[in-house]
Amino acid sequence: MMEEQDRKRIILTLRWTAIIVTSYLILFGRGRVTDLQLSHLLIAGYLLSNVLLTFLPKKWFSNSKFFYPLVIFDTGIVSFGMYLSEKMTIDFYLVFFLIIIFASISRNFKLLMVIGGITALLYGVLLYSWGLLITENGSSYTLRIPFIFIMTAFYGYIVQTLTKEKHQELTISEDKYRGLFENANEGIIILRNPQWQIVDVNREVEKASGFTKEELIQKEFLDLFTPEEIEKTRDYFKEVAEKGEARADSLSLKKKDGTFLEVDLSTKRIDLGDEPFYQVIIWDLTKQRRLEKKIRESKRNLEAIFDGIRDQLSLQAPDYEILRVNKAVIENYQKTYQELIGRKCYEVYYQRSVPCERCPVSVTIETKQPASSIMKFSERNGALQIFSYPILDEKGSLLSVIEYVKDITEEQRLQEQLIQSEKLAGIGTLASGVTHEINNPLSGIIGMAEIALEEEEPSKNKEYLKDILNCAQRIGEIVKGLKSYSRAAKKEDLSPVDLNDVLEESLKMVRLAIKTTSVEVIKKFQPIEKIQANVGEVQQVFTNLINNAFQAMDGKGGKLILSTRSLKDSVEVKVSDHGMGIPQKYLSQIFDPFFTTKKPGEGTGLGLNIVYRIVTKYEATIDVESKEQVGTTFTIKFPKRRDE
Amino acid sequence: MGKKILVADDEEVIRKFLRIHLAKLGYEVKEAADGEQAMEQLGKDDFDLLICDILMPKKDGWEVIKEVKTNPKTKNIPVIVLTAKNEDSDMFKGYDLGVNYYMTKPFTKGQLLYGLKLMLGETQEAIRT
Repeated sequence: MMEEQDRKRIILTLRWTAIIVTSYLILFGRGRVTDLQLSHLLIAGYLLSNVLLTFLPKKWFSNSKFFYPLVIFDTGIVSFGMYLSEKMTIDFYLVFFLIIIFASISRNFKLLMVIGGITALLYGVLLYSWGLLITENGSSYTLRIPFIFIMTAFYGYIVQTLTKEKHQELTISEDKYRGLFENANEGIIILRNPQWQIVDVNREVEKASGFTKEELIQKEFLDLFTPEEIEKTRDYFKEVAEKGEARADSLSLKKKDGTFLEVDLSTKRIDLGDEPFYQVIIWDLTKQRRLEKKIRESKRNLEAIFDGIRDQLSLQAPDYEILRVNKAVIENYQKTYQELIGRKCYEVYYQRSVPCERCPVSVTIETKQPASSIMKFSERNGALQIFSYPILDEKGSLLSVIEYVKDITEEQRLQEQLIQSEKLAGIGTLASGVTHEINNPLSGIIGMAEIALEEEEPSKNKEYLKDILNCAQRIGEIVKGLKSYSRAAKKEDLSPVDLNDVLEESLKMVRLAIKTTSVEVIKKFQPIEKIQANVGEVQQVFTNLINNAFQAMDGKGGKLILSTRSLKDSVEVKVSDHGMGIPQKYLSQIFDPFFTTKKPGEGTGLGLNIVYRIVTKYEATIDVESKEQVGTTFTIKFPKRRDE
Repeated sequence: MGKKILVADDEEVIRKFLRIHLAKLGYEVKEAADGEQAMEQLGKDDFDLLICDILMPKKDGWEVIKEVKTNPKTKNIPVIVLTAKNEDSDMFKGYDLGVNYYMTKPFTKGQLLYGLKLMLGETQEAIRT
């Protein structure tokens, strides 16, 4: 681009030099000048022209339409100047036109300057040998030599600038075309009429046909087709020649290895210079078909997976419109596919006019995140777990939602059973403790009764009977406690429960079994809201935790702290002990089923797992903090009832 | 002066009827409501027999028995365990510690007196009663 900037300056400079040498030529070779005024006018005009040129915009100097008149103007002025100069001879004119010819045919500026220099030198030698340089008009002749040189540079520069411009334009357009041509995804062949000879092919053609570019160039394109198709192809090219463009479908192209390539052709005439060429675009149908087949296959696979899943799957638009359902849905609702598609899910699945509450699909539509929730249906005594997953486009906006519905009725039933059987196992471990607790008052009853039988003083018997009654009442209490524990945890059996009461009762229960009196029990109960729950289940949670706390402090002693308080959205229950603590490495596993550190026979490994199951069933959370040899704290937060 | 018996049990009613029974038979009865009290009594007095519960506050029966049976001064005192712990493993543990007679609750007066007299070397009398 520097050249662009400098072009105006160079031309102006060259012209100044030309003006100076022309002026000198006229003025110093005067002698024979007939009209001095005309000479001055010419020089002034020439000078003025260059001054005017300085005001023209730079852009003009790169325009050939400006150059040609300039060159003609300069040639005219210089020729006239030469005529005005004294003793003008034919030889000088000849040399002048010779350099114009040199300049116009030369493409190499340096070479031209060498030629200009040699010409000037030869002419100088010629003038010298004629003895013209040492006459009284010698200065006029001498000036001719730089004049020749300067004019060569002037014309040479202009001609070279013009040729370069044209050349540059061509290179740019060719580069552009070459890039498109070589990188095209389709095969492209350039042909030349009349024989439809191949002039050029791109890489895609080489790849598809197996031939190299060198093997294809100069070949006739029609030779690449099978004999059966030559006629068809010939007709096609006849049409191309007439209309300038045409398309052909499903032709078989012979590959190098003898196999065939099924292609579509689209040919168009392009003009690259004087001769028309034809550009043939080749679509490899085999490739296309392969892709189509792959897409079809993957579609079929996805459909098979979608339909093959035994749980209900449906694809829904962000406005809950059902886009697609699998067989499980159709079977479950006993409707046809067409009856379901296009309808809103809540209408067809649940006969509602608005989306269901706590529907995970709503959550996914809102957050674009997967969601899940459990829905219970009391009329069928069933439960469904619904998962929803978002399908996003590349920009991250929601295209659709997959709703996955799993019937967990059976699972829930099994879980209930598991809770129940753990409870029974708990009763088993309680039993030995309870035996002790019952045997003590029982021994009292037997002992006192025996004494009473032997007693001859009836007044004393009253005291013994009181003792017997006391013992019997204690046994009654214990049995009552056991009964509340074994009460079946039925699902429907929800009632408002005061957790403080349940904690108290649970503590009593555990104390029946474990008679460690070295443990100090501290109760920090605050008045708390009742929660909706099954007493038996909550008691199961608390007895498990309290029992663990006692066991943790076995033989060591310490404090068991039971505390409750009311928080903003929840009711909190804490069970803390000063026991042996849980090793850090086990903390993540304590809620896993069958995880136990107790000896075989001492624990089922289900206790805390059941605690966890029950707690999550009430949408409560349970956290554990523990430090070895310091103690453990379990914190449960039950959500407060929403309807209160 | 009858033989001296120490009854260690946290259950008041049991201590009470043992006291009544044994007093009738002419024994001198001392009581302890927990393990520590029992050890205290054993330190103060010489006893001919110890009747001991296992599950007691402060110091349980196992520890009391261990201490009694390892102390040369007291190791010859016969020990009757009177407990609600009725599993075999508990009984074996008791005999291993040196318990002389293991009896589980509930029990009758006859069972108790038989064991008692057996321990005190009054077998003939026991059978006659």
